[in-house]
Amino acid sequence: MADAKDILGLPKGGLPGGPLAAADKRSSRTLKEAPTKKPDGVSREVYALTGGVPPLMPTLEPSALKRRNVSQSKKVSWRWLPFTTSARTDNLQLYHWVRTEDGVAPLGDYAFAKYNKTVEIIRYTDEEYTKYLMDPNWTRQETDELFDLCEQFDLRFIIIADRIAPHRSVEELKNRYYSVAKTIVLARAATPEDVADHTLVKDTYNMQYEVERKRALGIMLSQSRQQEREDAEVLAEARRIMEARLITKVEDEAELAATLATSSAVMDEMEKISQTPAQASSPSSLPVTLPTSMSASMAMSGLVGIASNGPRTPRVYLRGACLAQMIHSTVTAAGARTIKRVDQALEELGVRVKPKVPTQTVCAQHMELRNEVLTLLNLQKQVQWKETEVSVLHDNPYADIPPPTPNTPKKAHRGGDHERVSTRTTALGPDVDSGEMRGTGERSGKREHKRKAPARFSVTPPSPPHHKRARKLKSSEG
Amino acid sequence: MYGGDEVSAVVVDLGSHSCKAGYAGDDAPKAVFPAVVGSIEQTESSALMKAEGDSDAKAADTKASTKAADAEKTNMGRKLFVGNQALGFRRDYMEVVPAMKDGLIADWDVVEAIWDHALRERLLVDPKEHPMLLAEPSFNTQKQREKTVELMFEKYQIPAVFLAKNAVLTSFASGRATSLVVDCGGGSTTVAAVHDGYVLNKAIVRSPIGGEVLTDCLLNIMETKNVVVSIRPRFSFKRREVRSGEFEIIKQDFPNTTESYCKYMQRVVAADIKEAVCRVPDTTFDENGYANLPTTPYELPDGQTIEVGAERFKIPDLLFSPSLIQTIPGMEKLSAESGSNLRGLPSMVIDSINKCDVDIRRELFSSILLAGGTAAMQQMKERLEKELMEEAPQAARVKVLASGNAIERRFSVWIGGSILASLGSFQQMWFSKAEYEEHGSAYVQRKCP
Repeated sequence: MADAKDILGLPKGGLPGGPLAAADKRSSRTLKEAPTKKPDGVSREVYALTGGVPPLMPTLEPSALKRRNVSQSKKVSWRWLPFTTSARTDNLQLYHWVRTEDGVAPLGDYAFAKYNKTVEIIRYTDEEYTKYLMDPNWTRQETDELFDLCEQFDLRFIIIADRIAPHRSVEELKNRYYSVAKTIVLARAATPEDVADHTLVKDTYNMQYEVERKRALGIMLSQSRQQEREDAEVLAEARRIMEARLITKVEDEAELAATLATSSAVMDEMEKISQTPAQASSPSSLPVTLPTSMSASMAMSGLVGIASNGPRTPRVYLRGACLAQMIHSTVTAAGARTIKRVDQALEELGVRVKPKVPTQTVCAQHMELRNEVLTLLNLQKQVQWKETEVSVLHDNPYADIPPPTPNTPKKAHRGGDHERVSTRTTALGPDVDSGEMRGTGERSGKREHKRKAPARFSVTPPSPPHHKRARKLKSSEG
Repeated sequence: MYGGDEVSAVVVDLGSHSCKAGYAGDDAPKAVFPAVVGSIEQTESSALMKAEGDSDAKAADTKASTKAADAEKTNMGRKLFVGNQALGFRRDYMEVVPAMKDGLIADWDVVEAIWDHALRERLLVDPKEHPMLLAEPSFNTQKQREKTVELMFEKYQIPAVFLAKNAVLTSFASGRATSLVVDCGGGSTTVAAVHDGYVLNKAIVRSPIGGEVLTDCLLNIMETKNVVVSIRPRFSFKRREVRSGEFEIIKQDFPNTTESYCKYMQRVVAADIKEAVCRVPDTTFDENGYANLPTTPYELPDGQTIEVGAERFKIPDLLFSPSLIQTIPGMEKLSAESGSNLRGLPSMVIDSINKCDVDIRRELFSSILLAGGTAAMQQMKERLEKELMEEAPQAARVKVLASGNAIERRFSVWIGGSILASLGSFQQMWFSKAEYEEHGSAYVQRKCP
């Protein structure tokens, strides 16, 4: 670069005070030096291109390259040699290219023999079979065949099911194999504790669950897109009709509640009070303060109502036990709204909110009934929540279900079953109203509970759904 | 684990339409020639000469260029002519005999002749030194496998053999152990599910509509539509240059040419038209919609030009709506045989998947592979994907994969074999001669599952 400027006749320092001023000094020095100090292998101009100083990093010397090639200690050649592999049982000799050094091939087994891994299958003896493994559905021959195939296919049950002669399902095969293996392991062990850690003993194969799961998965996968669209339309239509029907029903129920003998005044009062906060909370976002204050006031009114019931019936002294229990349940349980729902459910069932003859047994059973109704209602809330989740997933299969509150982690409320959740803002849209959202707090706690008892819903009487809908509408109405 | 170790194995894939042979480790077969042979009944009185063809008559499916001479095989009263050159040269009384029927081997002499030609003339290998990987149909019978193995060991004295199913090889060619393979070949279309490297026999669905059926349909349509212009087999004319660039057609008459040979040569030309011009339509074909389509010209070997109109789309649509076959003249035989059993490709795919275990269905839906010469048609992948998305459940994501390269699609079975035979961890799986001698040919069922 300095030479170029020289050629052009430009001042070497560039502009005065420019960055080249310092470089210029160096380059002028090297220019002076260049005729005297010429590095070998590199011409003067080329050297000057780099600024005239030797490079910071040592470069590759071409002479070094020539040198290294020749002086090798070993003589490497490639030979076409036969080989055997320990993974084979016969002695087939195939040929391949081998890198030999000084004519000596590397020792050791075939490099790929180490990948020959098989699954260890337990084999039973004849007497073990007759002693432990007799089964009405499986003959000895079939069991043998199953174990042979398991060994051949390394426990790939889907393929085994494909190849086994009389057609059997994958679950049957797995069930037979795992039960036989477990029995053998247990039989051969000295004590059961020895093998308690063995995988076969620790985890049992649950055939029923697998069958159920596959059936459900099959149903899910068997509907074509067209059918699913039609189903969704039909469901939406049905829901609309249900809601329209319930609007009229709620009005009837409200009147019915008002005319009940024992709890007329109190219930009306409570209804009205419940309706106003419900109306206020009908938009999907619920402010925290309002419900808590309402709940406090309702608790108070509840207490007042209950207390005011006292003079109605003469047996005040026995009332104490029942009263105490009910107060207890009101305070520690799911909150006034839920209690009211329980009360409504009881009304629909034809049971009085306060038992007419409050003996101990009657009160105990009444409490039991209340608790059961409460549980039922909670579970229904869960179902609704799940349904909304499903509908969201349908619309957008790859969306995440947002946690109940944006700020709280999903499984925050592991505590009390009946914790009432006040603030619930969700992104699920106007379909879901506040009534359904209330269930989310209990959702995480109740999740396992629901799974273990799926049969409950099959015996759900029809009235609570009405009830549920009525409640939902009431809270959203207005 | 997937390192390669070449043992100079030879991979042979004998299909209904063409035979592919080559060395393991290559990325395309060296020898590709039709899986049919010319056969002349050898009687005392007929005098036969060895014929040497020099130019390549078939332009349809030749992908490899070679210079080999043709092969002959004298075999108990029949002289067989194998290979492009031998078949391309017209001989009196030569019948065209196919090796496979309905996807399975029909004539063992023909198959032997084909193997001889492939190994000795085209690849120039001595079978004694090379282990052999053979590709077989996914629905191959036990009897055929035993016979194949027997033939290989007794006649060719190979050191080791392995029989691999077509679907598995296609799956390996795309690097997957589990997939649903849609093999649109020459003779038939097969849909098979592969799980963890093994074919699920109960989920194989087949349809007789293949590339050859499509060629026949095209031929029939052309013949009925174009009365003036007919597709002439190459041997029936000669071109003589009258002026520079202009040619005159001289008809050649060969009365002793057999019907089958004539038809065969016509099919060759029709197949070329099909490959050049046909495209899969985006939606189901209907006569009215495509009636006003501009036609595409195609120049026949004799210089005449024909116009191909709506047939371009109708023929490939046979794969998707086989009921169209009834509208094509001359195909009554096929439609009578199978009739309402014929199903379109999307429904075959759904059928096959539904026959599999529920747990793997999702994975199968998301890895559907297209293979075979007929699958190399344009827009095939897009159309199949579109049709499947309609029929498949919403929970499953549908993905159809096909190599972009037409050569890879056509030879995917062979390429899978090449990959498999050159893997290091495969070398323990060969069925060796020693094992054959010890256990007999029935052992193939255990060794090659």
